[in-house]
Amino acid sequence: MKWVTRPGVHVDRAACAWLIRRFVDPEAEFIFRADLPAAPGDATPFDMRGASLGHHGGRCSFETALAAFDLTDPALEEIGRIVHEADLADDRYDAPASHGLDILIRGLTLTSESDLDTIAVTDRLFDGLYEHTRRQLISGRPPA
Amino acid sequence: MTQAEDWVLLAYRLPRLPSTPRSAVWRKLKRLGVAQLGDGLVALPADARTRELFEWVAEEVTDHGGEATLWLGQPLGTAAHAEIVARMTKAVDADYDAVTAEANTSAELDPLARRRAVSRLRREMRRIQARDYFRSEHGETARRALELLAASQPSQAGSQTGPLA
Repeated sequence: MKWVTRPGVHVDRAACAWLIRRFVDPEAEFIFRADLPAAPGDATPFDMRGASLGHHGGRCSFETALAAFDLTDPALEEIGRIVHEADLADDRYDAPASHGLDILIRGLTLTSESDLDTIAVTDRLFDGLYEHTRRQLISGRPPA
Repeated sequence: MTQAEDWVLLAYRLPRLPSTPRSAVWRKLKRLGVAQLGDGLVALPADARTRELFEWVAEEVTDHGGEATLWLGQPLGTAAHAEIVARMTKAVDADYDAVTAEANTSAELDPLARRRAVSRLRREMRRIQARDYFRSEHGETARRALELLAASQPSQAGSQTGPLA
């Protein structure tokens, strides 16, 4: 399937792309357009104004996507809180990791050759964050 | 942070009632440190981040039955620009000054309360820095007061309860 989002990906779009590729559509093809009217009709939009996979009801797009795809994995929900705070910083959740994640991905965006290049790296980042979060939830403490 | 030449403007209109979305949107804009240019017209120095922040506020407005459009623009005349910058800086200055004042008075607290004050004020500093678009000089003062508080040692012998006491 084709998926479309805005270029210059930051934390919410990077997290959504990872979620889609890992949990929804392993064959996902990502394209980048400025806004919804510029998006091709055969692509599913995310983290774009006017898209249903966007910010709604105080949630960031990643949290909206978790609900939309019926993903109830507690580790994903925890990542949702981190992404929420990294993206919105509205103090709704206590997620200290969000500050570092925000900075890392902003820095990546500055040095990446393309958005596909950025999400190739953030995919690895979120793989690690997911594994770390999963183990922490199982053992109740940060994995060594 | 920005050249502060281009501004991104959000023009929005929300139904008077219910009032909850109205105040939620307003609180959000206040936290972003916007310049209020008129009724339902706010501005921020334009960069990728502020544009995106406004896009999502616009989405929230339309989700609640309102109307919102985003604009890019420059004020005609440097006086208007300077006046807006001065107003925004003054608001941020006051926020930093409050941190400085609290950091100074917290030096009197016991070590535990002081540590709590440090982490709370550091969070507050991050929130202020996020809306400090023109690098207020008061930020450095607040940062130093906070570092001093974080580094300060217990001043009373009463708190020394180590094994050698």
